[in-house]
Amino acid sequence: MRELLVMTGADLRQRLRDRTVVIFGLLVPLGLIIAFHAVLGGSTDPQLKPVTVAVSVPHDDRLAHALIGIVRSVGLLKVTLKSGTEPAVHSLTRRGDADVAVIVPKGFTKNVRSGAPVTVQVVDGADSLESGIVESVVSGTVDRMHAAAVAARAGATSGVPRDRVPKIAAAVANGGPPMTVSEGRAADEQLSVVGSLVAGQAGLFLMFTVGFGVLAYLAERDQGTLARLRSMPIRPSLIQAAKVASGFVLGVAATTVLLVVGSLLFGIDFGSPLAVGVLVLCAVAAATSLTFIVLRVARTAEQANLSQSILALVLGVAGGAFFPVVARGVTGTLLDLTPVAAFQRGLGVTSAGGGVTDIGAPVAILVGFAVVCLVLSRLVPDRGADS
Amino acid sequence: MTAPGEAVLVAEGLVHRYGELTAVDGVSFDIASGETYGLLGPNGAGKTTTISMVAGLIPAHAGTVTVVGQPMSPSQIDAKRHIGLVPQELAIYPELTGRENLQFFGRLQRLHGQDLDQRVSEVLDLIGLADRAKDPSKEYSGGMKRRLNIGIGLLHQPELLILDEPTVGVDPQSRNAILESVEALSGEGMAVLYTTHYMEEAERLCDRIAIVDAGRIQAEGTREELIRLTGGVDHIRLSGSGDTDAAALSLRAIPAVTEVAADRHELTLTVRNAPAAVAEVVNGATSAGMTLEGVEINRPDLESVFLHLTGKALRD
Repeated sequence: MRELLVMTGADLRQRLRDRTVVIFGLLVPLGLIIAFHAVLGGSTDPQLKPVTVAVSVPHDDRLAHALIGIVRSVGLLKVTLKSGTEPAVHSLTRRGDADVAVIVPKGFTKNVRSGAPVTVQVVDGADSLESGIVESVVSGTVDRMHAAAVAARAGATSGVPRDRVPKIAAAVANGGPPMTVSEGRAADEQLSVVGSLVAGQAGLFLMFTVGFGVLAYLAERDQGTLARLRSMPIRPSLIQAAKVASGFVLGVAATTVLLVVGSLLFGIDFGSPLAVGVLVLCAVAAATSLTFIVLRVARTAEQANLSQSILALVLGVAGGAFFPVVARGVTGTLLDLTPVAAFQRGLGVTSAGGGVTDIGAPVAILVGFAVVCLVLSRLVPDRGADS
Repeated sequence: MTAPGEAVLVAEGLVHRYGELTAVDGVSFDIASGETYGLLGPNGAGKTTTISMVAGLIPAHAGTVTVVGQPMSPSQIDAKRHIGLVPQELAIYPELTGRENLQFFGRLQRLHGQDLDQRVSEVLDLIGLADRAKDPSKEYSGGMKRRLNIGIGLLHQPELLILDEPTVGVDPQSRNAILESVEALSGEGMAVLYTTHYMEEAERLCDRIAIVDAGRIQAEGTREELIRLTGGVDHIRLSGSGDTDAAALSLRAIPAVTEVAADRHELTLTVRNAPAAVAEVVNGATSAGMTLEGVEINRPDLESVFLHLTGKALRD
């Protein structure tokens, strides 16, 4: 164990001194994140714009005013109201002075209460996301009002005491819908675009960073220090273990720094540090396991570098390090099983408030990937064994 | 520490194959403490593969190696405590300083604390790098790197020092310093296994030499024993003018001279111990009326031994 620490320490010291790891493990990915963010800019993270709503509301109509009050108080939007007659609000939307017009007909409250058909006109002058939201809010509110009125009338006709009818109506109007469609888990696991960028690049460059351990091992073979190490009174397996350990430490450090710097630069909250830490460790383990295969396959540092780069790029692109890759069926499942994709998905869960117990699936994928790679590395013939 | 003259290394019937190629084929030798043993042969003769088995870097496909009585193989940690390997390549870390290189390998040799510091300082003095100990080794000259490479092998005071072509690519001054160090170490009782394809180094350093070619030891012994294999005779060549026939007749009477071949301006004499006989030969030739313009002594060396044994030159 002491020898393992001595070799790992010396290896880390050299990697830091030659600065390669700092450049390719930190500076390059950070530069890419900043560059991608600058290129993609605001188009990737939609920010809702202020919306101007022209309203034509009958004077002294309580429900009509309540409807407009709800539109004004939509939390997502900054809404500016412009009131006027029906022709005036039409004119405002035509001229572009209002994004959307809401025209509430006369007798709105009376018709809603009586259950008579009610038509609230919404004129979308901007055809924008914001005007669409206003239209949805109006539509949903009118539906709820109508449902409350229907419930109240049903109660009255079925013998419910008159003094309880308003309570029934209020309960229907204010209560939650009897059936809901909630956003599924996949939506919960989505990071923001810039969050995905940081997580994806961190995952991608992790593949390169852990590879420095393998490269160092093969470089030692080329430069003769491996022969000297093998002549030392230490177990031969410790030499490879030390390289893997230094790659692991570098991977954890580089990924942590990238996530922290990324979150500070772009205001991303990746969530529980403990859960994120578990994800980082599992992702580094998965990436490190690949190096065992590279160690068996490559005879020289150049071959290892090439193999590691190809694997990193393929797994990075497949995992969505640069852009989301959408596929269905078996291909989609395979893409989901790549370490970068699992890492991003796990960070999506933690950023949405998930803890250690919520990241079971991505952790299982990452650990499973590591196990498969370790088994494969035992099966692949060691091409450099006799060198 | 092994007693003087006691076998430190015993290699018996070593075989190693790379696929179809048998790189080492039945090599056996032993080295006693205080003895320097040379493996002399051209590149590709099997020297490095042999010492790789001796140092436990690769397994022997047949045969055994014991170091201080302990069996050696890649997994034998105990036997490896007794050896110091100086590989042919510069087996040092360029990003680490000279001191850090020594400390790193010293720790792997289980030196620590004051013992480690003391040995590192001693070795730095020995290899003449004390004043450059804090510089990264990548800034060292080729000779300094070679000396550091050797110093690492000496750090833990091994009973067997294995040097694989340690002077390749070294300037004459550094080369001489390295050879002097090896002589000193041998004098202190260390057993040294030295591979080289430089005949002069083998002649200067080695108490016994094995001539290696095609994976086999072709002959083994002291320099004199090996030279006797060629017949062990010296030649003196005299060139000049005058009566060479009369000179030849006169020189045949000298007891050390066994044969004289005469040409118009040249005499070639086969003699025993040419350096001792040369004065008498020169006197005899001049007394017989020959005016000498040149005298050349040719003694058989390891090059001639190699040529005699293998039919090819050492540097082919």
